[in-house]
Amino acid sequence: MIEIKNLQKSYGKKAILENISFTINQNEVICLTGLNGTGKTTLMNCIMGLIPRNSGSITIDGADIQHQLYERISYIPDSLTMPRWMTVAETMQFMATHYPNWNATKADELLAFFRLEPDAQLKNLSKGNCAKVNFLLGLSLDADYYLMDEPFSGIDVFAREDILEVFTSKFVQDKGVLIATHHMDEVEMLLDRIVMLRNGRIVKDFYAEDIRQTEGKAIIDVMREVYQP
Amino acid sequence: MIFDKRSPVYEQIIEMYKQKIVSGDFQPGQEIPSRRELATQLKVNPNTVQRAFKEMEGLDLIFTDGNALSRITENQEKIQSLRQGILEDAILSFIDTVRIVGLEDEAVLHLIETRLKEGHPK
Repeated sequence: MIEIKNLQKSYGKKAILENISFTINQNEVICLTGLNGTGKTTLMNCIMGLIPRNSGSITIDGADIQHQLYERISYIPDSLTMPRWMTVAETMQFMATHYPNWNATKADELLAFFRLEPDAQLKNLSKGNCAKVNFLLGLSLDADYYLMDEPFSGIDVFAREDILEVFTSKFVQDKGVLIATHHMDEVEMLLDRIVMLRNGRIVKDFYAEDIRQTEGKAIIDVMREVYQP
Repeated sequence: MIFDKRSPVYEQIIEMYKQKIVSGDFQPGQEIPSRRELATQLKVNPNTVQRAFKEMEGLDLIFTDGNALSRITENQEKIQSLRQGILEDAILSFIDTVRIVGLEDEAVLHLIETRLKEGHPK
């Protein structure tokens, strides 16, 4: 379990994240949602230690997250950061060289799963196929948690379908998954839990099936209440 | 299958199974997909499918031997009572609707008889 407690982040006097506390459990798909500019990416970056936080703690199974513990989390950014002249196979080779937790078997399975051509150069791939490569690279790291930032923005509907299928596949079985997105329609049925951010604070944290059962509401109804009061 | 986003998905899966068992689409003893396979087919969260399966096991709609795939119940009494349940529900909701229109019972019965003879246009 990743536990985030009282996380605080500000730039100068401007608070970006305030009093953020929530957990990421294994065997759960969680959606971190909120309107644009509400702090989703900042929060992901804080969890990964990519930007420093002002205060608060982040632990994995009780231990402060640092050094090798970061290997237990794989972060999939919102776009592929590999040089465009590389082929798909070369990006995989690059990852294999640099990451001790690279799982070549899983990578090959994902290559087939996404129907990607290993010899294709990134610069010749569609945006959707680039997104798939991005996913392939992140998911092929053996980790317990996968954090994904806006995985569906700007990609075509078929690539999106392929990526959505990841969430019911063995590739994330028993893992803790956190997806930051405001595209709720696409992921609604795939989620266990929803954490809603507004103005840098968590305003709701609930299970999808609970809200359907107890209040007869869809997640989008709750979003409407929170973001369009 | 299209799900209602405002009611629990696990209940909708159970309802689908009940209907398919009654209609004979799912035969007694027939193997059903694994939880993960079904989650992929239906495009829903695997834990939700897991929950539906667990409930259905409790309800005796499916059974699992060891690590094998689960199967549809072979209990004929169970299937019969499911059939009964679905009929009851259909009739009760029909009556509710008919009451709104406010027809006399006689007229309703007559209407049903005529329609049944014509064959239900679906």
